[in-house]
Amino acid sequence: MKLLKLISERMPDSKNILAVYAFIVTLVYSWTLFTSFYKLPSWLFYLSIGQILSVYAYAFSFDLLESLIALTVILLLDFTVFLFLKNKEEFQSRSMILAGILLGTSMLRLALFQNYEDITAFLSGELLWWAIAIPLGLVLAVFAPRIKLVRTIFEGFAERATVFVYIYIPLSLISLVVVLIRNIN
Amino acid sequence: MTNFSRRDFLKLLGAASVGALASERVLSLKAADSSKPNIIIILWDAFSARHLSLYGYPRQTTPNIDAFAEYSTVYHNHYSGGNFTTCGTASMLTGMIPWKHRAINYDGLVRAEYVHNNPYTLLGSDYKRLMFAQNPWPDRLVGQYYEDVDRFLPPTAFSLFEDSPAFFENDRAIASVAMSSFLTPIQGGNAPVGSSILGYMNKSKVLNFADEQKSPRYPKGIPEAMNMGYMIPYLNEDVYEGLFSELTQLEANGDPYFSYFHLYSPHYPYRPRNDYLKMFRDDGYAPASKPIHPLSVGLQQDYLNGQRDMYDRQIAQIDEEFGRLIPRLEESGVLENSYVIFTADHGELFERGFAGHGFQFMYESVLHIPLIIHAPGQTKRQDIHALTSNTDILPTMLSITGKETTPDMDGRVLPGLGGEVDEDRPIISLVGVDNSAFGVIKKAVIAMRKREFKLIAYLGYEDSYKKSFELYNIEADPEELDDLSDRDTATLSAMKDELMTYLDEANKPFRKS
Repeated sequence: MKLLKLISERMPDSKNILAVYAFIVTLVYSWTLFTSFYKLPSWLFYLSIGQILSVYAYAFSFDLLESLIALTVILLLDFTVFLFLKNKEEFQSRSMILAGILLGTSMLRLALFQNYEDITAFLSGELLWWAIAIPLGLVLAVFAPRIKLVRTIFEGFAERATVFVYIYIPLSLISLVVVLIRNIN
Repeated sequence: MTNFSRRDFLKLLGAASVGALASERVLSLKAADSSKPNIIIILWDAFSARHLSLYGYPRQTTPNIDAFAEYSTVYHNHYSGGNFTTCGTASMLTGMIPWKHRAINYDGLVRAEYVHNNPYTLLGSDYKRLMFAQNPWPDRLVGQYYEDVDRFLPPTAFSLFEDSPAFFENDRAIASVAMSSFLTPIQGGNAPVGSSILGYMNKSKVLNFADEQKSPRYPKGIPEAMNMGYMIPYLNEDVYEGLFSELTQLEANGDPYFSYFHLYSPHYPYRPRNDYLKMFRDDGYAPASKPIHPLSVGLQQDYLNGQRDMYDRQIAQIDEEFGRLIPRLEESGVLENSYVIFTADHGELFERGFAGHGFQFMYESVLHIPLIIHAPGQTKRQDIHALTSNTDILPTMLSITGKETTPDMDGRVLPGLGGEVDEDRPIISLVGVDNSAFGVIKKAVIAMRKREFKLIAYLGYEDSYKKSFELYNIEADPEELDDLSDRDTATLSAMKDELMTYLDEANKPFRKS
């Protein structure tokens, strides 16, 4: 009963969750779009426009799944690791800092170690990278949102990023239908 | 408790298949229809004919293939349509020159209008059709007509990876581009992985798994099938066991079948087993010294020789596997009504400052590939010295199975299997990765073999290589050391005109009116 009460007290409203999701969506989809621009010139060499759009359909379907996974992880962390923090006001910025650091680390590592020659560096440094990124993310997520300016910046960003949810999510749902149709016998 | 490994399981599966086959063999043989022979393609990736003792290589790399050739038809001047997997394999599967099928880019696909030109569709449903490519690029090519493949094994089959559930089976080609080239590639390419969460997790999981694979039998590392999207550690022992198991199961089934095994070794990275690591060391063999080519990356000869040694050792090791496989197929009755086509998709070269394939080089080592075909009941060797192309494989397969060919194909039925020798036939190979598959070919290196001569045309390379044409007499100068383009201008002019006429014709559909 005590735990349920705690959870209900801590439960952020849907607007706050949407803001965090908007931030995640912005990061995940922007990354995919950014990396696709490297690939687009070569796709134009050997794929038709319809085929290229199909590749994007896979990409957006993947992004939808990933953004939901990321949101679930953030919410889980909020109700486990950060359960002791009772300040609802900090939920948005705390979650965005966590998402930013975890996704950012992943993206940075993917950008730095792309090729066959980088495999050893990717593997040997992996533990260290995460050993720094995760505690750093947790510490920042606890303390940084206490600064009002930080909260204002993140909330402002989230507010503006919400528009991407209304663009990307319908697009992803259409993409999901395209992927399903392409895979029906 | 004894450990029962994946390898043991494969062996047991093979043995069980043979057991099952033994009981059904009489029935199967009774049912065997000689007008519908089975066809088995065993293809080694990046296997140059210039490295087979069978074709005169000074090193005894392939004693078992040599033995197999003693009761097969050996093609001595067989060429690939391209110098890398996608292009060369597409030529074999479509029967077309690359400028027509247009799978000319590394990740490329066959043009939609020609996709139906393939053995799976044209042999039809009266054949059981199996596909297995360790290299994801041919897997993608065949994925264009996945619906005509009865058993489509993933590139990870028989590898050290545990079998994972297959996704997007019905959209194999495009899903493969999306996943392995963009969203979840493991390495390579010119861009980061497109999926920041699942792509990262997949990359980390696969690379860590591959890195953990150690075996004292492979001190240089476990062989890996790798291209931009993949990193698949495998043991050739397991792959050949799997191949045997698949074939015996098909044989036991009793229906005519077509099976295509695109095996990764001896492709780079060359990682022979420890008992082959010292082979050919200090054997006194010194390859012909060739000048550094202006287009090459300028690798030193010592490095090239070292790579060549490793490549030869890798060949010798898989030759041993091949040598184990063929007698087992013979004993289990698989060869009795089967054509076995043993070939490669392209070769490999270690010369002129470059090692590998898929570059602008169109020299013999990368285009001259082995072709050995064993027909049912064949007991004597037959040697064919006429020029042949891997575009001939599909028309030949259709001819021996009594199926209709299509007018799209450039290939012809192979001499020795019903085809005629045409001394004047030109054999074309092309590398044109810098062109759109939907446009006129402007930048490419094209090789044309005709009679004893070979013309190499460098189109669009004027900035980096002043010489637009090289001409060699391959019979007199098999190492391509003496460029005749300045001296034999009559031959150069005639071959150049002929090639340009063909190219002009091939480009016509892509010209805007």
